[in-house]
Amino acid sequence: MDPHYLLQLAIQGILLGGLYGLIAVGLSLIFGVMGIINFAHGQMMVMGMYVSYWIFVLLGIDPYLSLIVVAAVIFVLGYLVQATVVNRILDYPEAMQVLPLVAVGLVLENTALLLWGPDYRSPQTALSLETLWIGPVMIDVSRLIAFVLAILITTGIFVFLKKTRTGKRIRAASDNRMGAILVGINVNRINNASFGLGAAATGAAGALLLPLMPLSPHMGHDFTLTAFIVVILGGMGNLIGALAGGLILGVAESLSALFLPATLKQVVSFSILIIIMLFRPQGLFAGKK
Amino acid sequence: MATSSGPVEPVGPVGPAAVISGHQDFYPALLEAPDSIHLLLEITTAFVVKWLAAQEAVDGPFKRIAIADYNDNKKEGIGMKKKAGKELNRRTFIKTSGAIGLGLAASSFGVPTLLRAAPTKIKIGSIQPVTGPLAVIGQGQRKANIMAARQINAAGGIKSMGGAQLELLLGDSESKPEVGRQEADRLIKDGAVVLQGPFQSGTAMAIATLAEQRQVPFVMDVAALDAITQKGYQYSFRVFITAKGLVGGAIKYLKQVTEMKGVMPKTAVVTNTADPFGKGMSGGFLKGLEKSGFPIKIIDRIQYPLGIQDLSTEVAKIKSLKPDLIFPVSRPGDSVILTRELYKQRVPLMGIFCPGSPGWYEPHVVKDLDKLILYVLVNVPWVNPNSTVYQKANAAFYKAYNQILDTNSAYAYTGTLVIADAIERAGSARADDIVAALKKTNFKDHPVVGGPVQFNEKGDNIGAMTALIQVQKDPDYLKRVKIVMPKEFAQSDEIVFPAPPLWER
Repeated sequence: MDPHYLLQLAIQGILLGGLYGLIAVGLSLIFGVMGIINFAHGQMMVMGMYVSYWIFVLLGIDPYLSLIVVAAVIFVLGYLVQATVVNRILDYPEAMQVLPLVAVGLVLENTALLLWGPDYRSPQTALSLETLWIGPVMIDVSRLIAFVLAILITTGIFVFLKKTRTGKRIRAASDNRMGAILVGINVNRINNASFGLGAAATGAAGALLLPLMPLSPHMGHDFTLTAFIVVILGGMGNLIGALAGGLILGVAESLSALFLPATLKQVVSFSILIIIMLFRPQGLFAGKK
Repeated sequence: MATSSGPVEPVGPVGPAAVISGHQDFYPALLEAPDSIHLLLEITTAFVVKWLAAQEAVDGPFKRIAIADYNDNKKEGIGMKKKAGKELNRRTFIKTSGAIGLGLAASSFGVPTLLRAAPTKIKIGSIQPVTGPLAVIGQGQRKANIMAARQINAAGGIKSMGGAQLELLLGDSESKPEVGRQEADRLIKDGAVVLQGPFQSGTAMAIATLAEQRQVPFVMDVAALDAITQKGYQYSFRVFITAKGLVGGAIKYLKQVTEMKGVMPKTAVVTNTADPFGKGMSGGFLKGLEKSGFPIKIIDRIQYPLGIQDLSTEVAKIKSLKPDLIFPVSRPGDSVILTRELYKQRVPLMGIFCPGSPGWYEPHVVKDLDKLILYVLVNVPWVNPNSTVYQKANAAFYKAYNQILDTNSAYAYTGTLVIADAIERAGSARADDIVAALKKTNFKDHPVVGGPVQFNEKGDNIGAMTALIQVQKDPDYLKRVKIVMPKEFAQSDEIVFPAPPLWER
C-alpha cells in the first residue's frame, strides 16, 4: 500500500466531509427552528448553483465573489416558499408536510429544466483547477475554500442565532410558538426569515459547489439524500453536528475506496446511517433537544 | 379520367363494423353474439355497396375489383383459406355477407379508375423517446425524421407511386420500452405501413417483436444491442451499428493508432458508469480486447454509479495504479469530473481512449473542459461532414430547428431516407413488397460515416462503421472535434498520440 495514496484519501475524505457538512447545514437549520424537513432542499441548492452559474456566464463574476448575491436570491426564494406553502402546513401531521415540499422541489427542478435545459454544465472558473501540493499529496483549492467557508457559514449562523435579536426571536419561536406570539413576536414573519436563512445557506453551498461538479437540473435528489444522512448522523437540528456528521461520512466514504468498489460507496453511508439509527437515534451530537 | 373522389383506400364491411362496435368487443362478439354481428355486418355491407355505387357514378364502371384478405399468420394462411367456410375469419364474413372488399390492385394494366389510384399518403410511424430522460436525443431524432419526410415530399414524393407523399405518424416512447410498444401498436392501427425509431435498445426489442407479429417492416435508425436482430425476424432492419461492431471498431482503431505511432501502451484502466449501458459497453470491450489478443494489460476496472458527483478517490486509485491509458465509458457529467480530477491529481497518462460512449464530443463538454479534453480519442458512430448530403441536411436542420444535425439525428434522417428509397423501388406500400425492397437496399447518399447501407440476412447494416475522432486545437470550439480515421472520411491528417500531460498544455 502506497502511504501517499492513504494520505491522499484521508485528505480528500476530510475535504469531501466539509462539502457534505455544507450541503446539510441549511436542512439542519430549518428543521431545528420549525421541525420541518425541507424536501426541496437539494433543488434549492441546484437553484443556487444555477444562479451562480448565470452570474458567472453572463457577467463573468466568479462564484466566490457572487456568493452573497446568490445567498440573497435563494433567501428570497426560501422566504416566499415559507410564506406561501410552509406556514399553512406547520401544524399538519408530519406525513402531510412531506408532499407540499416535494412538490416545491419538483416545481424548482422543472423550472431549471425549462430555463437551462437538461445538459450538464460545468464552466471553468478561475480556481476550479487550482491545486496545492504538499510533497506528493494534492489538496484541491476549491474544496479547501468550500471547506473553510462551510465552517465560517455554520459558525456565522450559530452566532447569529445566539447573539442577535432576530436570532433570539427565531429561537423563541422555535422553543414555544404560542409563548412567542403572546410576547408580541410576529411568528409567521420570523418563520419566513428562518426558512429564508436556511435556504440562503443552502444556496451559498450551491455556489461553492459550482466549480466542483457539473450542474444539471436532476441532481437535487442526491443532495437531499446526502444532506438527510448527514443531518441524522449529527443530530437533527444541530448545526455543529451537521458539520461533524459530514466529516465522518466524507472520511468513511473516501477510505472505503481502499477495500470496496466505488459502486458500493453508498453502502458505507447507509450502513453508518442504520447503525446510528439503531444505537443513537437522536444523532451523535444531539444534546438538549 | 376523373379521379375527383381521390385515392381509394381499401374498405370492406368488417373494418367499419369493428370500429362501430369497438375492436375489443367485436371479436369476442363473433362467438358470443353472432346474430348481432350479422346484423351489424349487413348494415356496413349495405353501406359499402352504396359507397361503391357512388364511386361508380363518379368514375364510371369498374373493370376490376380486388378482394383484400389477410391472416395474422402467413404460414397458417393457406390452411385457413381451405377451412374458410368454417372459420370465422375476415374472408368468411366477406363471403357470407355477400360483400365486396376493396384492396389495392396489384396490377395497373387496364385499370382506368378506382384501382389505379395510388394512395397519395404513405404513413410511416416514427417512435422516438421525445419525453423522459432521453428527451433531448429523441426530439432531435423526431425532427430529423420529419425533415427527411418533408424534403422527400417537396422533391416530388414517391415517384414510382405517382408522387405519393410520405406522412409521418408521431409516437413517443417516453423513454420506456413498454410505452414504445404501445405507441407502435397505435401507429399500426392508424395505418402506418413502416415503423422507424426508437433509440433505446429495449424499446427496439419490443417493437421488433410487435412488427414481426403484425408483419409491418421496422427500420431502426438508432439501437445498438446485438440481440435485437438475432431472433431471425424478417421485418426488422437496423441502419445503426451493432454493439459488436462498435467494440470491433474500438479495437481496430486502437491497433492502427499504436502501430502508426509506434508507441505501445502496456497497461490500462477501464472506467465505466454502473448502468446497463456502461456495464454492457465496457464489458463487451473488455471481452473483445481479450479475444483480439491486443497486448495491453487491464490492471483494473473502476465502476461508479451514474450521476456521481465526486471521483477524487477513484482518481487517487488510478494514480496509484500508474496506467498508460484510460478507457472510459461515461456520460457528459462524469467525463468532466474525471478529466478535471486527472488534471488536479496530475495523473501521468499516454492518453484517454474512449471505446464508445458520450461525454467526449458534445459542444458543452468540449467548451467546458477546453484544453483538458484535447487529444482525447473516441471511437463512435459519426456524421460525415465531408459529404454534401450531410452539409445540406445540416444546413437545413440548423435553419429549421436552430441546432446541429448530430450523429443520432443524422442516423434518424438516414432511416427515413432508407425507407423512402425502399418504397420507391418497391412501387408499393405493401409490407411484403417493402421488405423485399429493403433486403435489396444499396443506399449510398447518406450523411454518416460508413459504406452504402446494405442489410444482411439478419437485417443489420453491413455498411455501418464507426469513426475515430480526436478533439484537436481550433480557435472555434465547435470545430475541435475531428475525424482522424478511417482515411477516406478524415478531417485531419494528424493524430496526436501519446498526448502531452494534461497540465502541460
